[in-house]
Amino acid sequence: MTGLPLLEIKNLRKSYGAVKAVNDVSIHINRGEIAGMIGPNGSGKSTFFDCSTGLAKPDTGTVKLDGQDITGWSLNRIAREGRMLRSFQKTVVFKSLDVEENLIIAGQMFTFPSLWSTFGLGRMSRQRVSGLRERARELIKMAGLWDVRHQPAGNLSGGQQKLIQFASMLMPEPKLILLDEPMAGINPKIIERVVDTILYANKSLGVSFLVIEHNIDVVTSICQRVIVLDQGQKLVEGLPQDIIQDQRVREAYLGG
Amino acid sequence: MSLTETAQQIRRRDLRIPLGAVLLVIALAAPFIGSRYVTHSLIIALIFMLPAHGLNLLVGYTGLLSLAQAAFFGIGAYTAGLLAVTYGTPFYVNLLAAGLVAGAIALPLGIPALRLRSTSFVMCTLGFVIIGQAIAKNWISVTRGDMGLSSIPKPHFALGPLSFTVSGTMGFYYLALAIGVLATLAVWAIVRSPAGRNMIAIRENETLAESVGIPTWRYKLIVFMISAVFAGVGGSVYAHYLTVVSPLTFQMYYSTTMLIIVLGGGAGTISGVVFGSLLFVGLTEALRITPELRMIAYGLCLLALVFWFRKGFSPLINRFWDTVGGAK
Repeated sequence: MTGLPLLEIKNLRKSYGAVKAVNDVSIHINRGEIAGMIGPNGSGKSTFFDCSTGLAKPDTGTVKLDGQDITGWSLNRIAREGRMLRSFQKTVVFKSLDVEENLIIAGQMFTFPSLWSTFGLGRMSRQRVSGLRERARELIKMAGLWDVRHQPAGNLSGGQQKLIQFASMLMPEPKLILLDEPMAGINPKIIERVVDTILYANKSLGVSFLVIEHNIDVVTSICQRVIVLDQGQKLVEGLPQDIIQDQRVREAYLGG
Repeated sequence: MSLTETAQQIRRRDLRIPLGAVLLVIALAAPFIGSRYVTHSLIIALIFMLPAHGLNLLVGYTGLLSLAQAAFFGIGAYTAGLLAVTYGTPFYVNLLAAGLVAGAIALPLGIPALRLRSTSFVMCTLGFVIIGQAIAKNWISVTRGDMGLSSIPKPHFALGPLSFTVSGTMGFYYLALAIGVLATLAVWAIVRSPAGRNMIAIRENETLAESVGIPTWRYKLIVFMISAVFAGVGGSVYAHYLTVVSPLTFQMYYSTTMLIIVLGGGAGTISGVVFGSLLFVGLTEALRITPELRMIAYGLCLLALVFWFRKGFSPLINRFWDTVGGAK
């Protein structure tokens, strides 16, 4: 392992008209780290995520993953070739498909060597899919969704859908996962479960994380480092316990 | 095991295989059962089933509403007609060529069109049909304009010493049936493949599909091309059946008919398209002899769809099939 950071973003800028959504932000994520990102609503966190993961194109700035410049790559290419995955603020699952199929889809593009090979129905193809099914079942067990694995994902609760989304992102053995408010709108019991799965993925599977979260307790308990954004700019970054004491952070975000 | 249990098991026996066999016999014996006109109606239904299968991959599985299907149907018909009339190439060569030409033309059309979102895409595909008709009307040196191409030969097969021409309605029915079965199997294979799963993912949520590494744009383009191949093949069979091709082959009415087959039969299901073709093309064609009843029946079908079967008739077919299979 090199000392190079896993993800290195430099001078990222993105404007929508006159609004500078992200204004010259540079951050890095180390290997094996769980980093948090906090900030008031409209501080540019989600735009920053979109620009880092290829959903939106940054105006300027560079995104490097594992030393490779991935600026301007599409969302699907960053996921497939970079193994950097992201979740969305509003929970999204493939609603009419059951839980198991949801996970299999999430793994397919990482198992099949090319787009054309996905049209095959031969032995190789069947083997690949059954391998995916096995892995999907392991992750479904881990996420506690075993009993509902054959139900359409759209019929499940918001919390369960979060877990599906999370388990889906672990299908391709990712290097880095960017989570956009994973705890929003779910009950405390599922929060615990999501926290456990994040820690498990981090410790046992070696996945690094960048987590946008408003739940300060969660941020301080799982993150090794916290980055604070405010009005499109990086306000401060540091250890969680230092951040919550920081006067500027209190004024901008935590309130008093 | 108690007596009641056994009795129930007998009652719930799986009758799908016998029923399938009955359907197969009906399909094979149809030309002997019905009149020549009924057979003709079934041929038209089988021909329209081909572009409808392609459209179903696009609308039902990938979630892209397209009205361009009649354009590719027309391109296929003209390709087959021109080849047959100008070069005298055999039926199967024209069939393959029609599919390939339609698929190839779909590439340059799909690249800009698929950049558009929802309604703009629909409008753009509508334009393809109109442009296709304009070209067929005005490129007189090739297409002979409004006169169209006529005396396209009936399919002729020559295998070594064995050679025969499919001329009668009955013979053509079996040819259309064979092509229809092959096309249905091809769709089944595509849908069952991992790519089929990716297509459904794109329909359900395109951004989410992107985020798990699926190159959605390339998939959409490929499916657009595949659907054009189906339409092109359908067009070539149509040309060889009617022996005439005119600019009227590029008709909005055909695009909407294909769409009604897919949506009415049940988008995203194969059985729905087969059933839809029989109902919306076969039945209306068969009712042509009683013009006053024809549109009333068609209208009633559409009303039933709108009020009771929003998802098309396929949920009904599936329920029936499950009941036959012994489910509760």
